[in-house]
Amino acid sequence: MSAGGQALRQVELTIDGKKVVVPEGTTVFDAARLNAISIPTLCHQQNEAPVGVCRVCVVDVGARVFTAACVRAVEPGMVVTTNSEKVRRARRTLVELLMSDHPSPCARQQHSRDCELETLAKLEGITQPRFAPRSTSRGKDDSSLSIAVAFDACILCDRCIRGCNDIRGNLVLGRTGKGAQTGIAFDHNRPMGESTCVSCGECMVSCPTGALTNKGTVHAALGPDARPVTSEELLQLPVFKGVSGTFLELNKGAIVQRHFQRGDMVCREGEYGSTAFYILEGQAQVSISSPIAHVKTDGGARGFLSRLKSSLARRQEDRREEEAQQRYIPTDGPVDLAYENPVAELGPGDLFGEMTCMNYYPRSATVRAQTDCTMLEMLRNVLDILQKNKTFREQLEGTYRQRALDSHLRGVPIFAGLTDDFINHLRETVELTRYAPGEVICRQGEPADSFYLVRLGFVKVSETYPGGELVLAYLSRGNYFGEIGLLGVGQRSATCTALDHVELVRIASADFQLMMGWFPQVRRSLEAVAQERLQQNRERLSLVRSVPLDRFLAQGLMEAQSLLILNLENCTRCDACVRACADAHDGVTRLVREGLRFDKYLVATSCRQCRDPLCMVGCPVGSIRRRHSLEVIIEDWCIGCGLCARNCPYGNINLHPFEVTQGEPALPGREMAVIQQKATSCDLCTGHKEPSCVYACPHDAAHRVNPREFFARTLGSPTAGVPES
Amino acid sequence: MRIDHTHKKWFIASVALLALAGAAYAWSAWSSPHGPKGGSALGLTFGIVGSAFMLFAGLLAPRKKVPVWRAGRAQTWMRGHLWLGLLSLPLILFHGGFHFGGTLSTVLMVLLIFVTASGVFGAALQHYLPELMTREVPLETIFEEIDHVRAQLRAEADQIASAACGSLGLAAGPEEPTDTSDSRLAGGTTAYKQPTAAASVAVLAVTEEECAPLRSFYLREMRPFLENPGARSHPLGDAAQARSVFQELRRRLPPAAHDALKDLEDICEEERQLNRQARLHYWLHGWLLLHVPLSLALLLLGAVHAAMALRY
Repeated sequence: MSAGGQALRQVELTIDGKKVVVPEGTTVFDAARLNAISIPTLCHQQNEAPVGVCRVCVVDVGARVFTAACVRAVEPGMVVTTNSEKVRRARRTLVELLMSDHPSPCARQQHSRDCELETLAKLEGITQPRFAPRSTSRGKDDSSLSIAVAFDACILCDRCIRGCNDIRGNLVLGRTGKGAQTGIAFDHNRPMGESTCVSCGECMVSCPTGALTNKGTVHAALGPDARPVTSEELLQLPVFKGVSGTFLELNKGAIVQRHFQRGDMVCREGEYGSTAFYILEGQAQVSISSPIAHVKTDGGARGFLSRLKSSLARRQEDRREEEAQQRYIPTDGPVDLAYENPVAELGPGDLFGEMTCMNYYPRSATVRAQTDCTMLEMLRNVLDILQKNKTFREQLEGTYRQRALDSHLRGVPIFAGLTDDFINHLRETVELTRYAPGEVICRQGEPADSFYLVRLGFVKVSETYPGGELVLAYLSRGNYFGEIGLLGVGQRSATCTALDHVELVRIASADFQLMMGWFPQVRRSLEAVAQERLQQNRERLSLVRSVPLDRFLAQGLMEAQSLLILNLENCTRCDACVRACADAHDGVTRLVREGLRFDKYLVATSCRQCRDPLCMVGCPVGSIRRRHSLEVIIEDWCIGCGLCARNCPYGNINLHPFEVTQGEPALPGREMAVIQQKATSCDLCTGHKEPSCVYACPHDAAHRVNPREFFARTLGSPTAGVPES
Repeated sequence: MRIDHTHKKWFIASVALLALAGAAYAWSAWSSPHGPKGGSALGLTFGIVGSAFMLFAGLLAPRKKVPVWRAGRAQTWMRGHLWLGLLSLPLILFHGGFHFGGTLSTVLMVLLIFVTASGVFGAALQHYLPELMTREVPLETIFEEIDHVRAQLRAEADQIASAACGSLGLAAGPEEPTDTSDSRLAGGTTAYKQPTAAASVAVLAVTEEECAPLRSFYLREMRPFLENPGARSHPLGDAAQARSVFQELRRRLPPAAHDALKDLEDICEEERQLNRQARLHYWLHGWLLLHVPLSLALLLLGAVHAAMALRY
């Protein structure tokens, strides 16, 4: 039956002298196959759309030229010859041509003797191709952890490309180059290991030759002490129900079982990794050992010889403007940690480390075995498949609804007053939705139909204006969006885009309105937040609209409250400013005498409150954000992983080491001194009338200025050109 | 420090002080039958004030060592250093009645003249060179980073040349430090990813024969220049000569290689700028190697001279 319910017309044709009848639209290749007539092929396989690139399936249909059977549809009365001398000769020539550009034996032929091309060549009796091989190598790519790429063995059949894009929907593989330079490429021709490939193995399974082969080194990467788990063992676990056994077999070693004894460290906060953990048995404790405090700079104002001193201060000791009132610290697991006592428990069925595994962010918290534990540790390809698996998703969502939704919602101060009844109601109705990197969640101007709470990943909120796009915020776990549209005119006021693998808790409009009706206090608070956000957005846009200098805008300079500029005609490059900054901050300088040049001025690297604050992307505990004034504030629960410092393209965030004492878990009752780092940015030498860098410049070169006033005055009219940096 | 209109007050005050001192000296020379003496009240006053100015000028260095002390803005100290240091020479000359006196005082006078002359020379350099450097070195980097940037330029040039001409057969240089904290390399109790190796796909834009001139130029001319950019006689060290070399190469190479050639030309230009920056940097700060030790010697011997004068 056709899609429309009508019966397909039957077509009669002759293949190798045999009369056959097949439905209209069937390809010659399928018609032959259905009637037990074999036509060799390389680029075609049944689970992929035919493309007819290898031409090995050539048949004679009585036309001027031979045709590829895999893409040619049958026609009434068609006479097909698949095995005549002319066809065999043509096919043989094609195979010879392919073999001349293929190392024989290739890796697959060497290991499993099942390279499809070489098998076909053997059947055709080709031992030595008549054609000269390529003189130069097409190279190889060993950058992937699990898959080896030998471009020399590739016959450009596109099976891997269709497997990656059409079957898996990963959209990583494609073609690059022209003519003899044509090859497969990952993303924009990046090494496979640096691409967005999730190592699902589909390309490897699809490849007919040794161009994409299993490296078999995954197990080594997960460490020698881990016990490999067979696909049979995994399939016996309920969470793996429905996962392809072939996939698990091909990715043997990408998931291992680990046993942890009580007190063992599973992962440490701030550390990088590429795996996620799934607890099978036992209890684990998740905690943050970094002091929950921010860097405070004291001194300076007291007297002539006073020096600045940086120290750690808790929220209770030192209140900062617009400090978050958050009661919970987000983690990369199913639970959030309380600000006052950042410790929680994880148990069987809990998955943690998703953000690290999917997005390579640092670990957000330290996990220790509280009892003897058994866990599965997996690489991204396995987690990716699991997250697409219905059973696993159901369990994951069930765990989240039961254990984390409560703290997640209540962690947002505005929702702290929701009753248990309502949260129970939400448990049943909220939807967990996933977005791939770059996917638009909602667009500015679209009708608003949901309210979102970020569970995993980072969401970029941006607004378009005639001059371009302004990033309003980066939202991470614990943040929410969508309330402006639902409370206001019913339209999205900004575009929200997933920056990485994002998971959101979607509360539908009806439930949101119900919540507004039940909890007038929540409504009032959300309305206030919405108004405040709209006002901030208006101010930011008016700020950028009124600035004529595009390059300033592009560099985010006009959004700065205060810039450190050096007049290069005065500056003797003596670095007194840098030394003064270091001297003022316990030896850790917060400025580098390098940056953009505008005319005779150098804008030194000191936080400039960028238009697109990349420093905020990826913070595993969401501790860096913008104040309303656009200034950066680093919250108390910074774990000192340094990702923000690395992300800042201008080097304006530094890590300040502090010596703190901590309990030693292996030796209860004992304390040891450790160095803990905290991210910092320029504090303008709080307490001093003038920052140390400016005060210490002997050449009248360093100045702290308001960029809008300074550059408007210095660089003149809106049409003033800005020299190249 | 740039001597500009912001120095007006210092200039007026210095000229006024000099005029006052000159007038006093002239009056003393006219009224005293034996001419002005260092031991006279006025002569001692000149000596004390001149020494105080020298001492103040000398305190700039320790002041710079404690940049966060709120002991006055560094630029005020610098202006004082310049103007009071300069004034100390005529005051000391007035003190000595333009006579050098004995051995110690002669040495002191010679030292003072050299210190003042080197200071004036340095001030002139620091007045003109920053502007010159800003104008001529738009690709300026931090001085201490120059070697690192050069290594990067070499690596970049190798990459461009080998992408255009195929393998150059160069020996692998020392590895650049890598950030081992990268997520894919981290170990600990969790899995790590192997270091990612760039796919070894050579991009052969032109045939071997076509790119032969580029290959030869790179290996014989440009690579040696990148390895030793300070060689003054190298044609690539001069912008005009380099332009004609690249123009000639552009004529001999197919259009497909022109982009690579442009990149290599830009790299040579950056190398020249780094050279220029390094030279200007040495001039900007090199004179201190003379000025500072001489100043120190002057202050020490000045103290000896004062002690001896008071004692004897």
